[in-house]
This record gives sequence, structure tokens and C-alpha cells, in this order.
Amino acid sequence: MSTPASDRDNIVCEARQVWTVFDDNVVHQNLNLQVHSGQIVALVGGSGSGKTTLLRHIVGLTVPTRGEIFLFGENLHEVDRLKQQRLMNRLGMLFQQGALFSALSVYDNIAFPLRELKQFDEETICRLVMHKLSLVELEPKHGLLLPAQLSGGMIKRVGLARALALEPELLVLDEPTAGLDPDRSKKFVELIKQLKHTLGLTVLFVTHDLDTLAQMADRVAVLADKQIVADCALSELGAVDHPFVNNFFHDISTRMERAQ
Amino acid sequence: MAAASFHIELDQQGRPHIRLHGQWSLRSLENDFAALKTSLAPYFSDPFTSWDLQQVEQLDTAAAAVLWAGWGAKIDNRINLTDEQRKVFDMLGRLDTSIRVRKQPDLMGPLASLGKTTFEFIAHLRDFMQLLGLLFMEIFYVLRRPREFPLREFSANIYKSGVTALPISALLGFMIGIALGYLMSKQLRAFGADIFIVNILGLGIIRELGPMLMAVLVAGRSGSAMTAQIGVMRVTEEIDALTTMGISRILRVVLPKVLGLTFVAPLLVLWTSAWSLLGGAMSANIELGISFRFFFEYLPTVVQPVNLTLSLIKGLLFGFVVTLIACHFGLRVKPNTESLSMSTTSSVVTAITAVILIDAQFAILTRGIGI
Repeated sequence: MSTPASDRDNIVCEARQVWTVFDDNVVHQNLNLQVHSGQIVALVGGSGSGKTTLLRHIVGLTVPTRGEIFLFGENLHEVDRLKQQRLMNRLGMLFQQGALFSALSVYDNIAFPLRELKQFDEETICRLVMHKLSLVELEPKHGLLLPAQLSGGMIKRVGLARALALEPELLVLDEPTAGLDPDRSKKFVELIKQLKHTLGLTVLFVTHDLDTLAQMADRVAVLADKQIVADCALSELGAVDHPFVNNFFHDISTRMERAQ
Repeated sequence: MAAASFHIELDQQGRPHIRLHGQWSLRSLENDFAALKTSLAPYFSDPFTSWDLQQVEQLDTAAAAVLWAGWGAKIDNRINLTDEQRKVFDMLGRLDTSIRVRKQPDLMGPLASLGKTTFEFIAHLRDFMQLLGLLFMEIFYVLRRPREFPLREFSANIYKSGVTALPISALLGFMIGIALGYLMSKQLRAFGADIFIVNILGLGIIRELGPMLMAVLVAGRSGSAMTAQIGVMRVTEEIDALTTMGISRILRVVLPKVLGLTFVAPLLVLWTSAWSLLGGAMSANIELGISFRFFFEYLPTVVQPVNLTLSLIKGLLFGFVVTLIACHFGLRVKPNTESLSMSTTSSVVTAITAVILIDAQFAILTRGIGI
């Protein structure tokens, strides 16, 4: 590997020679990806290119057919159960639909991972939940609501607060702005950027929305032809010679000009 | 990364001075804040202890909240912090945690909950009557426009709740028939009244057990499935999608289920009763030496055929009630998992209770017929 040793230390997650095969359908073919600490990395690609599948591999929901996924330098599926649980506590995931526990109130949703840790008393948990609510700019009274009573934007915020409950290093977002109107989506992106700054997060996200991408990403990993065909800063995408990337860069650069 | 740790020094007057080291955060995997809190507990309560957090590499809000709670929710000059850490504690102090304060237990609580239950029961009854009314309106509508009849759904329901229930209802009926037949044979032989086993089994199974077994089976098997299905359709807004297409949800969702099961229920009763009788006859054959041929030739002479009619009417009624209750609870599911599980349970329990109550009524009303 050509990566220098100092650089290797701050790799948060890594996919090494990953193959994913569903029946006869090859989704990933010898795919490699590294996410370094402190970056906001966007994973982009056409519909059905296997973005969400890769994301699910990284957070340990599924296992690739071949190859390995490393999270904080460890292979999730090779460590024992306790270690696995503690490793997973170091990442927070925001699902596309929020995936809030519908039987629990907002407060209990956010308190859930804290209670599972069995290290805090209720008073401390309460303070921490209130802190997470204020981080995502919700008010204490929202804690009493049930997920069914929330609007789309609030569901995302609560999902984010729950993902942040254990102070993770890596935040994984699946379509963070899907289903939000442009104004809300812009605010949500700003919130994530601000949180990334204050909490020192590494963020990996999948999106279809070019505006979100242009506003948020430091780096872009483009998934096409079953592989990562480009992994660089947004502005450097123009130098990559690949039909999907060229097309994509054209769309995004007009947006970035408009934004400036 | 070093795990969170602390170091205790005593000054000249013997007062402890505690220096915290390492990563006071959840990111360091070895940290256990419950243990740290326990070992620090004696110093938290000691007013002469001074604290130094200058050497802490990283302090996150979780660790800060534990320390904050330990210090009694205040920062004073015994605690030496960096500016960064002071900001974290100030922020924690400003948070409004009053939301956790729960209401005092209410003396009128039981009375209030009784009232609530009563109102809820009335609401259920009202909704159920409304559903029944709507269903009959749809039936009259379909009678006038037979082309609108949801034939595909109707036949799908016959298959799902009727045909696929055949093996299990046969097995259940047969087994219960054997058990009943065996017990009765033992008792009747003691009185030398062997022959009466045909009367008792015939009347008991055809008039009571067959319809009851079928109703319990259908409530548990198809009723719960219907409630869950309609419930999920409500959660995923499929029911609303139907309505926006101008399709009546009663006509397309409730009606085929109710008519399908009501149609197939009497047939299931016949099927279940037949297998029960076969099981009973087998027991009688083994225990009392009554031949199958004799059993089934003697049966129509001691059990009047009107009992079969009663049994089929019961089957119709039970099938109708079970499905209607299942649909009623399905349509009341709220979009969360708890409500879905509660509605499904209530659906099965209510259906079985209702069937037993109706059966008792039926037994009283038809006491002069066929016996």
C-alpha cells in the first residue's frame, strides 16, 4: 500500500477488495474505499449502483461476499460480541426514514442507547438527552411526542440526535435530506456541518441530491461500474476521465457556480 | 488513547486533591463511567476535595454530565477547569431538565381510568356499529351494481382463510374427537351404556364443538392476519391511497374478507365436524368395539338433521362476527408497532369472547329444537 504510516492511523473505515454478489448480479467488484478522520465524504452513484449496500456493509448490517470491511482498524465480523458492540457504539447511523422506535417517545428514543450502556443514572441520562435535543435544535417539550406525531424534518432531527447519543466518531447518513423541502434540507445540512465542526465528527453519507452534495461534501467517492471510480475533492472531479463522472461533474459545477 | 483515570494526592492539611487524566469520553472503549462514579463517590460528597481537570485529554458531554451530577449540579472554585471545559459545564447547567418531573400519583386515578375504559368501550361499540352499517350499505350497492363486486379479492380470501386452513382444522378436529371419544367410552362402559356414545358424540360435535372449534381456529388464524394486514395497510397509507383513487375501502378491503370468510365458514364447520366424528368413531371402535359402519348408520337416527342446519347457521354467524371484529380492530390501528400488536391481540380475544357469548345465547334460544 502506498499510504504513509501516519495517514493509516486516521483511517476511520475502509473497504478492502470488496465483492458483493446477489444471486447472479455482481454489485461490487473488487471495490476499495478509505474514509479518513475529520472528512465529510459523499458516496454518490446512479440508482442501483450499490451505494446503500456499501453503506450497510460498512455499518455491519450485511457482510460482503468477499473482501473485508474495517471499522476503526478492526473487522467487525471477526471480533467478539462485546468488542463488536463497543465498536458499533463508535458510529451513529441516521436511516433514510429515521427508523425511530415507534412505540417510544422522542425522549426515550434518544435515551435508549444511553440506557443500553448501563453506565449512567436517569438524572445524567436526562441531562444528556436534553443536550442532544438542543444540539439538533429541538426543544425539551418535543421529547414528549411520539414519532408518529413528528413532521419529516423533525424525524430526521430526532434520528440524528439518537445517532449522536453516544458521542460517535463516525456519523453515517443514508439520504439525509430525502423528503425534506429545499429550505429544510439546507438547514439540516448546515446543522450537520456545524455538528461536525463542534463534535469533531467524520461523516459518510449517501445522497442523490446535488445541492446537498455541493453544500456538504469535502470529498466525493463516485460508485460506478461496480467500483469506486473517483475519490477526491469536488473540484478535482473534472480531471477524472469517466463518462458517469464527467456527466456528474457537469451538473454539479453549474450548481456550485450558482451557489457562489 | 488513554482511558479515563484519576490520581489522588493529599495536601498538608490532609485534604484530597484529585487530578483527572486521559480520555474522559465514550470514545475510549475501556471507560466505564458507572465504575468511575462509584470509585469517586466518597470524594463527590466531601466538601474539602479539590479537583483538577487541566490534564484531561478529551472531555465529552457524557463524562461531563456524570461529573456534574457528582458535584451536585454546580461548579465552584474548588474545581480547576480549562476554558473549553468550563463552556461544556456551563452549557450542561443551562439545559432545562424539568421535563422528567412526573405527575404525582392521583387519588382519583382508578376512577378516571374506569371512566376512560367505559368511554373507550362506547367508542368501540359506536365504530363497530358504524362499520356494520357501512358494510350493509356496500352490500346493497353491490347488489345494484354486480359488476363492482370484488371477485378476485373474494376468491383470494376463500383460498387464504378457507382452503389453506383445511389441514390444520382436520388435524385439530380429529385429535379432539379421539380424546373425547376415549374419555366417554371409559365412562359409558362403566354404566353399560356403550351405544349412547353415538348420541353424545354426534350431538356434542355437530351442534357445539364443530362450530366452536372452527370459530376459535379462524379467529386465531385468519382474524389476526386480517387485523395485522389492514393495520399495516393503514400505517403505510395504502388505505388512503385506495380512497384517493375513488375506491371505497369498505368495498375493496372489508367486504371481500367478510363475505369470503362467511361463505367458507359453514364449509369449514362441516369439515372440522366430520374429522372430529371420525376421531370419535375411531376411539369408540377401539375402546368399545363399535364398528365404523354401525356408528355412521346409527348417527342420523339419533341426531336429528335439524342439528346440522343449526351448526351451519352458527358457522355463518361466527365467520361473519370474527371477520367483522378483525376488520374493526385493523381499521383502528395507529401508526406504531405497539398499537399494531395491541390491536391484533384485542382482535383475537374479542372475537373469541364474542363467539362464546353468541354461542351461549344461541343455545338458550334454540333449546327446544333438535334435542
